[in-house]
Amino acid sequence: MDINTFLAQFVSGLSVAMLLFLISSGLTLIFGVVNVLNFAHGSFYLLGTYFAYQLMQLFNNFWVGLLVGAIGAGIVGMVIEILFLRRIYGRAQEGAFQLLMTFAFILILDDVVKFIWGPEYKTIPKPDSLMGSFNMGSVMVPTYNVFIIVVGLLVVLFAWYFLTKTDTGKTVRASSLDRVMLGLLGTNVPMIMTLVFGVATAMGGLAGVLAAPLRTVTPGAGVEFIIDSMIVVVIGGFGNFWGALLGALIIGEVLSFGILWMPELATVLTFIVMIIVLIVKPEGLLAKKAVGRK
Amino acid sequence: MRKKRWGGNSTLKKIKDYLPWIVYFVFFVGILVVNPGTHYIHLVARVIIFSLYAVAFNLLYGTTGLVSFGHALFYGVGAYITGMLVKAAGPEYFLLFIILGAAGAAFVSIFIGLLTLRLTGVYFTMLTLAFAQLAWGLTFKLYHFTGGDDGIQAIPKPAMLTGGVTKYYIFSFIIVTICMYLLWRIRRSPFGSVLNCIRQNPQRITFLGMNVYKNQLKAFVISAFFAGVAGGLYAGLDGSIHPDMLHWPTSGNAILMATIGGMGTFFGPVVGAGILTGLEEIVGKYTEYWSFCIGVVVLIVVLLFPNGVLGIKKISGNKNNEEKETEVVCNS
Amino acid sequence: MKRKLISLLLVLAVLAPLTAVYGAETIKIGALYTMTGRGGQYGKDSEVAIKIALDEVNAKGLPGGAKLDVIITDDKNPQYAVSVAKRYITDEKCKFLFGIISTAIGLAVTEVSKEHKVIFIGTDHAGTDLTANKFQKYYFRSSNNTFQSMMAGAYYLKDEVKNWKKIAYIGPDYAYGRDQWMELKWGLDKLGVKYQVVGEYWPKLYEPDYTSYITAIMKAAPDILVNGMWGGDTVSFIKQAKPYGLFNKMKYFHVDAGGNYEALAALGADMPEGIIMSARHHNNWPDTPANKAYVQKFYKAAGRYPSYAAEGAYVGVHMIAEAIRKVGNANDTEALVKALEGMKIQTPEDPPGFTSYIDPKTHQIVQIQAIGTTVKNDKFPPAKYMLGNFKIYPADKLWPSFEYIDYMTKVKGK
Repeated sequence: MDINTFLAQFVSGLSVAMLLFLISSGLTLIFGVVNVLNFAHGSFYLLGTYFAYQLMQLFNNFWVGLLVGAIGAGIVGMVIEILFLRRIYGRAQEGAFQLLMTFAFILILDDVVKFIWGPEYKTIPKPDSLMGSFNMGSVMVPTYNVFIIVVGLLVVLFAWYFLTKTDTGKTVRASSLDRVMLGLLGTNVPMIMTLVFGVATAMGGLAGVLAAPLRTVTPGAGVEFIIDSMIVVVIGGFGNFWGALLGALIIGEVLSFGILWMPELATVLTFIVMIIVLIVKPEGLLAKKAVGRK
Repeated sequence: MRKKRWGGNSTLKKIKDYLPWIVYFVFFVGILVVNPGTHYIHLVARVIIFSLYAVAFNLLYGTTGLVSFGHALFYGVGAYITGMLVKAAGPEYFLLFIILGAAGAAFVSIFIGLLTLRLTGVYFTMLTLAFAQLAWGLTFKLYHFTGGDDGIQAIPKPAMLTGGVTKYYIFSFIIVTICMYLLWRIRRSPFGSVLNCIRQNPQRITFLGMNVYKNQLKAFVISAFFAGVAGGLYAGLDGSIHPDMLHWPTSGNAILMATIGGMGTFFGPVVGAGILTGLEEIVGKYTEYWSFCIGVVVLIVVLLFPNGVLGIKKISGNKNNEEKETEVVCNS
Repeated sequence: MKRKLISLLLVLAVLAPLTAVYGAETIKIGALYTMTGRGGQYGKDSEVAIKIALDEVNAKGLPGGAKLDVIITDDKNPQYAVSVAKRYITDEKCKFLFGIISTAIGLAVTEVSKEHKVIFIGTDHAGTDLTANKFQKYYFRSSNNTFQSMMAGAYYLKDEVKNWKKIAYIGPDYAYGRDQWMELKWGLDKLGVKYQVVGEYWPKLYEPDYTSYITAIMKAAPDILVNGMWGGDTVSFIKQAKPYGLFNKMKYFHVDAGGNYEALAALGADMPEGIIMSARHHNNWPDTPANKAYVQKFYKAAGRYPSYAAEGAYVGVHMIAEAIRKVGNANDTEALVKALEGMKIQTPEDPPGFTSYIDPKTHQIVQIQAIGTTVKNDKFPPAKYMLGNFKIYPADKLWPSFEYIDYMTKVKGK
C-alpha cells in the first residue's frame, strides 16, 4: 500500500474517530463523575439533530442551530437527571436500574421525536463556509471533516484546561473520586452532578448537530450509537476522558484499515478489539486503578 | 427467598412456601381448561418460554447480583443449535436437540464466564454485552451457515406435536416446569444461599472460606443452560428463528422481566414475563407508539416499584436489614 | 296513531340489527408494517396509501355489499411479527396477510401464510427469495423484487454506458445488499458483458459513517460504483461522498432503491446531477393521469409526496379487491389464489399501453422498470432533483427468469 492510500485512510479514520470521540466523551464524563451508565446518550445526540433541524427550518443559520442543538440537549439532560436519575442514586443494584431507566428514555424520546417531527428522513445542509474540499498532497479532504476534527480538538483542550486548571474543574474531578467526602466539605454535590450531566449531554447534542449535515436526521439514529460509543468508552477506560479519545482513534483507524485489508470482517472488528482490550486490560487502556467493586 | 415465619405452624408454612407453585399451576394449566382460543394459547406459550428465560437469568441477576446484559447470547445459541440440528436431522429427536442446544449454550458460557467474571459491576455488564453483540454479529455474518439476516424458517416440529399450538404448549409447559423446579431447588439449596450471600456481601463469603469466583461461574453456567433451553423451545414454537434473538434488546428484555416481576423472588420473572408480553400485545394492537408506552411503564416500575410486582409489600415499609447492608456495601 | 308509530319503531328497532348482520360484511386484511425507527416512513406512507385504496375500493363496491378493512400493527422483529400474524388469523379472523417492509420478517411470515393457508400479499420487501426459491402458493407480491431492478440495471449498463470495465459494489451487509450484487453480476454475465470487479464493500446496515469506505473506493477507482443501500443510508452516503468528488470520478449506479423519493426529498439540493438511479415507483414517471391522480391524492392526505412503499400498498389493496370481485366472496382461498394468478392490474406506475400483471408461476407482479439520471426538477418539493432521461425496460424481459430461480435455489436453498 502506497503512502497516498495510507494517508487517505488515516485521515478518514481520523474524522470518523473525532465524531465518535465527541459522542463518547460525554458518555465517559457522565460515568466518571456522575457514576451513571447513560445508555440513552444516543438519544441526546438525536435531540441535538432534531433541535438543530427545527431551528434551521426557522432561521436557516447553522451556527445558531449548533448552539441551540447542544444547549437544548443539555437542558433536557439536566431535567432528566434532576427529575428521574436522582431518585435512583444509592440504590442496591443501581447499575441495573440505571440501565433500565436510560433504556426507558431511549424508547420514550424516540417516539416523542417521531411524534413531533414525523418519520420521514430529514437533512441539515452544511454551512456554506464549510462546503467543498481541499487537497492535502494527493489526498482530498472535505473542509467539513477538518472542521469536525478541529472542534474535537478544541473540546479536548478546553476540557483539559477546565478539569485541571480551574477550581470548578477540580471540584468535578474530586466528586468522581469521593462524592461523600466532597459533600461533607460543603460542596453542593448534587448540583455539580446535574451540571456535569448537562454538559455531557450537551456534548452529545453537539455531536449530533455536527454529524447531522453528514448523515440523515431520522428517528432511530440515536440507538445506533449506543453500542459504538460504549465500545469506545470500554476500550479507553470508563470515566477517562483521554481514554475516550484513544479508544475512538483506535476504533476509527481499525475500521478504516480493516475496510482495505479485511472487508468482510470490518463489521465485527470493533467487537474483537473490545474483547481483546477487555481480556488484556479490563479496566480500559488508560485507567490507572484496578477494577474495584462497584 | 425472604419468608416470614408463621409462628410454629408448619403446614401453614408449607402451604405458603408452595403457594406460588399452586398459582403457577392454576394459571398455566387453567388456561388449557378455559381454552380461550388458539391465539391466547400461543400467547401463553410465549409467556411460559420467556418465563424460563427470565427465571434462568434471574439466578444470575436477582440471586447472585450479577447484571448480565448479554443473556440473549445463551438464549439465541440454544435456539440456533436446536433449530439447525432439527433442520438438518429432522424433528424425531427434538427433545434431544433442545438439550444439545442448552448444552451448547452452557459450553459457550464457560468461556464467557471465565473472562467476564474477572470483572465486577458495570465492567462485567459491558463485557457480557460485548460478547453478545459479537455473537450477534457473527450470526449475521456467517450467513451461509446460519442463514444470516433471513433467519431460519420452517423448523419442523416432531410429528406428535404438530397440529395446533395446544400440543406444543403442553410440551413446553412440561419442559419449563421441570426446569423451573430444578432452578427452584437450586435456589433453595446451600449453593443458592451462597449465591445470595455473594450478592449481599462478597467479602463475607471469602472470610467463610468459599470462592466467590467459582460460585459465580457455576451460577453463570447454570443460568446459561436454562436460557438455552428456553431458546430451543422457542425455535419449535413458530419454527422461525432470527439473529434478533441474540440482539441486545432481547438481553434487555430479560432484565426488564425480572425487574418488573420482582427480582428478589423466584416467580417474579414469571410475572414479569407475563406482564411484558401482555403489554406488548395490547399496546401493539392499539397504537404505533408502543415504544413510548413501554418506556413509560419501565420508568414507573424503576421509580415506584423497584422490587417489582411481587415485591410490592416492600415499598411502603422501611428497608429491612438486608437492603441497608447491601446499600452500604454497594456504595463503598 | 301513536300505537302504530310505536309498533313501527319497535319493528325497525328489531330489524335494524338484523340488517347489520346480513348486510355489510367486513373483510379484514391484517397488515404488518414498520412504524418506528428507520423504516418508519415506509410504514406510515403505506398506511396512508392503504386508506386511499380502501376508500376507492369500497366506493366501487364489493360483492354482497361487503367492505374491506385493514388492521395495521408495527412488526418490530420477526418473532413478534409471526405472533401478530397468527393472531390476525386465529383471533381477528383476517382473510389476508399484508405488507411488511423487511425481507427477514417477510420470510418468517410467509411460513405462517403457508401453514395456515392464508393469502399473503407482500407490498414492499423486495428479497427475490419470496417469489423464487422460497415460493409458496399463498404468497403474492405487489411491488417488484430486486432481481427485476438489477436485471434492468444490467441491460442499462450494457446498452447505455460506454467504455467501462471496472466495477465496484458497496451495499449493506445483509441479504438485501448481498442479493442485489449477486443478481447484477448474474444479469451482466447472462448478457455477456465483460467486467472486472475492483472492490466490494460491506458496511453494516445503518452505518453512520462511510468516510473510510469512500476513500477506499476512490483509491480503487472503478468506472462504475454500484450501491445497494436504501433510505437513510443512501442519503448519508451521497452526502459524505460528494465533497470527495466521487460522483465526478466514477459513474454512480443505484437502481433498486437509490432514486426512491424519500431519498430525493431528504437530499434536496445536495443531490449530485446526472447519477444513474431508479426506484420501485417514481412520482414523476410515467406522466399518466393515473399516476398523477395517485400522487396528488397521497399529497392531499399526507401533506407530502409518497415514498415508493406507498404504491405497493395501494396496488396490493386493489389486487385483493379485484380477486374478491372475480370470485364473488372472500372465503374460497383456492379460488382467490387462482383469481390472482395471471391477474392484470392497472397500477400507477404503468406507462400507457402496458398493464402490470401477476406471473402465475411465481406470483410476482411483472412491471416495467425505468432507469434514469438525476436532473433538476423542483415540482415535488422538498426534492430539488428528480429522475429524468428514462430508459424503459419491458417487463417480460425482466421476469420471470426460471434460470435465475434455479441458480438461487442452488445458492440459497429452498
